[in-house]
Amino acid sequence: MVVVIFLAMGLLLVILQTTVFMLNPVWPAAPDLYYILVAYLAYRMDLLRSLIILFPLSCVLDVLSGTVLGMYPAICFGGFFLLRFMAGRLPVRESLYQVPMIAVSFLVVSWLVYVVLFFLEPVVLIPWSWPLVLLRAALIILFSFPLFRLFERINKRLQGGLSPLKRLRVRSGNRFR
Amino acid sequence: MRKKSSRKRPSRFRAFRLIILIGLLLTMGLIFLVSTLGNQEFGPLHKMIFESVGPVQKVVARSSDYVRSLKTEYLDLLRVREENTRLWSELQECRAALYKSREAMATNAMLRRLLDFKRNSGFPTVAATIIGKDPSLWFRSVIIDRGSGDGVVKGMAVVTGDGIVGQVFNVAPGYSKVLLAIAPSSAIDVLLQKSRVRGILKGTGSLTYRLEYILKTVDVAEGDRVVTAGYGGLFPTGLPVGVVSRVIRKRRGMFQEIEVRPAVDFLTLEDLLVIEQERRPLE
Repeated sequence: MVVVIFLAMGLLLVILQTTVFMLNPVWPAAPDLYYILVAYLAYRMDLLRSLIILFPLSCVLDVLSGTVLGMYPAICFGGFFLLRFMAGRLPVRESLYQVPMIAVSFLVVSWLVYVVLFFLEPVVLIPWSWPLVLLRAALIILFSFPLFRLFERINKRLQGGLSPLKRLRVRSGNRFR
Repeated sequence: MRKKSSRKRPSRFRAFRLIILIGLLLTMGLIFLVSTLGNQEFGPLHKMIFESVGPVQKVVARSSDYVRSLKTEYLDLLRVREENTRLWSELQECRAALYKSREAMATNAMLRRLLDFKRNSGFPTVAATIIGKDPSLWFRSVIIDRGSGDGVVKGMAVVTGDGIVGQVFNVAPGYSKVLLAIAPSSAIDVLLQKSRVRGILKGTGSLTYRLEYILKTVDVAEGDRVVTAGYGGLFPTGLPVGVVSRVIRKRRGMFQEIEVRPAVDFLTLEDLLVIEQERRPLE
């Protein structure tokens, strides 16, 4: 259920990104909402379920955007594993405090993928622009807070179970155990 | 008995005084009446009365006017509130109608241009609408709502009434991806309409093209029109591409650097035509 719901959320975010947030074909300020989901999965979800969500999501992105297949899987999986690696080594575990790391990982992964693509197919790419990439990173930070809260709420709801019987479960008196 | 007589005296005196007063008033009234009727003159008395009554009349009249206007204004105010609500809703309706009509007019103009192009070009075309745009910073493409099921094949030219937009890059049964002519990977054979010199038009990723392989010996000026050359069979000949906006002749090299402003406004792209032509698909 969690996988299906988060996959649907991912698809919705991609569709929003390619329609509502793209005012024209050269609009630079469309937030990379999918990457926020990638970050959430890296921070909060187990590896298997994350990969099940990321495979179709990156495929959809590949279909809807770009002309080089495989670019978005590289970004999604690169970002996912980089964030997972960083999250394991950071002293602060609270995901909301780790939001700036999402932007940093986005910059790193984007730059690495761009460099690789530039060597493989230099003609197809628009020249790298730091102001635009930094704008995208800033948008990721901006949208991370509300989207993380939303994902967290959905995840808690799903983990808590949708059946009312689970919600009525009797708790023991000892809350500090 | 004494008391009784003492009471009667003042009452008699009072009656006497009253009779004299009435008599006096009657006499004065008679004199006034006779003199007025006789002379028909607006005398000093009249004037005096006039002067003394006038201000009072003036004050009362003004007060009455003020009260009346206050009442009217209050009633108007009550009516104005209702009218205000009604007018606001009417204004909203009018504004909505105006926006709709403007939108319809703009759409109408755009579709008319597309229709004109379709009629004048003589090519079989498929009308399509953009349903998605590439959010990536490194590519320029759009998704249209027509695919192989509608006769769209990879490599077909995509245009609007103003000129070329790009070419079909990927096709699915119901949808296609169009590589925009402003994408860096796009390269189109074009002609300078005035000099008939051929060059390659490349996208820059921004809202300009770069015209390459035009020799320095060729006379190119700002404002020269660029059209499709039709070589290779990808684009039909003579489709508007853009206008030369900048020419740079460097000392080194054989070719000029030419910047072309697109004929199509890529910021407002909505409805497109896919030109169905017999051609080998792009590899």
